[in-house]
Amino acid sequence: MHTNLHNPDSGFSSLLQASALFCERDERVLFSGLDLTVSAGELVQIKGSNGSGKTTLLRILCGLNEDYEGDILWKGESLSEERENFLSSMIYIGHRVGVNRILTPRENLRWSASLHAPIDDNRIVAALGRLGLRAYEDIPCRNLSAGQTQRVALSRLLISPACLWILDEPFTTLDVHGVKHLESLLSEHVNAGGAVILTTHHALNVSCQWRALDLDSRRAAA
Amino acid sequence: MWLWFSKLGSPRWFYELSNKWLPWLYVAMMVLMSVGLLWALLFVPEDYQQGQTIRIMYVHVPVASISLACFPLMAVAGTITLVWKMKLADMVAKSVAPIGAWFTGLALASGAIWGDQIWGTWWAWDARLTSLLIQFFLFIGVIALRSAIESQDAAAKACAILAIVGAINVPIIKYSVEWWNTLHQPASDFSMDPVAPNPPEVWVPLLIMISAVYVFFVIALILRTRNEILQRERRSQWVIDLVSREKSV
Amino acid sequence: MNKPLSDGAGSDISTWQAFCATLKRDLVIAFKRKNDLLNPIMFFLIVVSLFPLGISPDPVELSKVSAGVVWVSALLASMLSLDNLYRADYEDGSLEQLLLSPQPLYFLVLAKNIAHWLISGLPVVVLSPLLAYMLYLPSEAYWTLVLTLMIGTPVLSLFGSIGVALTVGLGSRGLILAVIVLPLSTPVLIIGAKAVTDVMFGLPVGSHFALLGAILALALTMAPLASAAALRISVN
Repeated sequence: MHTNLHNPDSGFSSLLQASALFCERDERVLFSGLDLTVSAGELVQIKGSNGSGKTTLLRILCGLNEDYEGDILWKGESLSEERENFLSSMIYIGHRVGVNRILTPRENLRWSASLHAPIDDNRIVAALGRLGLRAYEDIPCRNLSAGQTQRVALSRLLISPACLWILDEPFTTLDVHGVKHLESLLSEHVNAGGAVILTTHHALNVSCQWRALDLDSRRAAA
Repeated sequence: MWLWFSKLGSPRWFYELSNKWLPWLYVAMMVLMSVGLLWALLFVPEDYQQGQTIRIMYVHVPVASISLACFPLMAVAGTITLVWKMKLADMVAKSVAPIGAWFTGLALASGAIWGDQIWGTWWAWDARLTSLLIQFFLFIGVIALRSAIESQDAAAKACAILAIVGAINVPIIKYSVEWWNTLHQPASDFSMDPVAPNPPEVWVPLLIMISAVYVFFVIALILRTRNEILQRERRSQWVIDLVSREKSV
Repeated sequence: MNKPLSDGAGSDISTWQAFCATLKRDLVIAFKRKNDLLNPIMFFLIVVSLFPLGISPDPVELSKVSAGVVWVSALLASMLSLDNLYRADYEDGSLEQLLLSPQPLYFLVLAKNIAHWLISGLPVVVLSPLLAYMLYLPSEAYWTLVLTLMIGTPVLSLFGSIGVALTVGLGSRGLILAVIVLPLSTPVLIIGAKAVTDVMFGLPVGSHFALLGAILALALTMAPLASAAALRISVN
């Protein structure tokens, strides 16, 4: 069912490669000498206590935060030179999920998609339906619960052609059912040759290759 | 770790270099200022139209000329901050803003005093005064933005952008204000440009005063920047050493 | 369910579509929130009607200041509505999505600025003859007033956008936006108001329009770049 466009022969086993990352905020070193490689077909969980710099790391990796030192490579090329290619194959969902409260889920997704690749309405409806939002397509998002809003944001993953997902605490507002659902989405994506970087305090239960990076134990070691 | 050192090196280098410059600058300012002021206040002949009030010019013109230079300087420093991420450039940009605001304020005040004497009014919507006033507002905007943003790096970049946008705007404002004013009031009545038709004994002291105030400006800028360096680098070893040496003396 | 995984190379969607979608989105939001649509117009109306109360009901005196009053009020109305430009998007995270679009940010920011002008600037332009009439502006100056506002108000939106982009991340923005934006807007105000006054005196105004047009061209090319850079800093 899944078309795997990632070509194993093209030599890009690693998608995103960060080396010797250094970042300080408010005169406090969040991390230094941090190396992280994310390859196609794997999920990386960033762990760490509150304030350990998980969100900052994700924002650096997706290109929102530029106050860092070190190198980030996208498929072996410098991120700053490959920015456009990188952005069109990456999707980021942060703490603030990027769902406008006045617009309906359908309108929100239509706009999000248009920033990357416009798609037809059927796929939007299908994506919302798959995340349990059938019949909610045309209700203003301010009338949805926090968990439902999160689901609207997560529907973007289904309509986006991106191969790298960067997700900041995607499980927080989801119910048990939603958590299972997202876990199966993640496994599906990774097994189809995609890659995921996420932060969560939740014990992951995914059926794909995954590993964790613990910012706390790095700091303890340093 | 090397990046750390190169980043720290630059402000430190400036701090130590300015240690050597400052005494010379103090001497130059003293000499220029006393010669210029004495000459301007005591020996310059009275103007045939303006009488003694012409002496206000020797303060007003230097102050105004510096206030005009501050915005471009801030924009250049801002560009360096944005492009090369040089910390020293932002420290200079941060230090220029209040000095520029003060000099613009002084130019406005001395202009008003002069205006009271020769136009009979403290304020006139003269083209130059008006564009100085708007420039003063622009400085206030930059200072307000700087103090409103908590993160130092973000403040540096945001102020750099505002300084560049402002510097592009300053000539447009100046030009449009001059163009606006000319039809309402003939320029000859309000000409603030008494330098051209005057003999050397009038403009030589003016030149001396301009250089004296420029040196004063440079000193003020260096001192402010040094303060800024100490504040931002207070955790680095050389500042700690410096402070402990000062204390033991 | 077939989900192709693109590797990023050769995205065939055009920037134009993203531009239109962003423009449309902002307009839809504004139309769903009637307040956003009505507030600038009501503000404009109220401010203009305050001037006769403060100056005098005398037609001669009012007609002398009418051009300036309409222009200053238009400037203030544009200022008032600026905060909507990026604030909601900043708070709900849409701004991050905008910044992470592979499309050039210049065009996306331009789309948002055009939407802001359509919402807050265009109604002011349309309403200005009515207010000019109430302020006894000589009828021969009507077209000049409308045209100068037509060229000038987009500049206000474009310059204002820089100010909002710089301050959108601030908790307490208060008056700082006005302090930043108003001085930048003075050339447009000066030229626009003077064109109208000059027409009242029967003077030629071709050069005024040339200058306004030049400023608009400069603002269109440069301001969205500055806004984009400022947004990147604010969202950092």
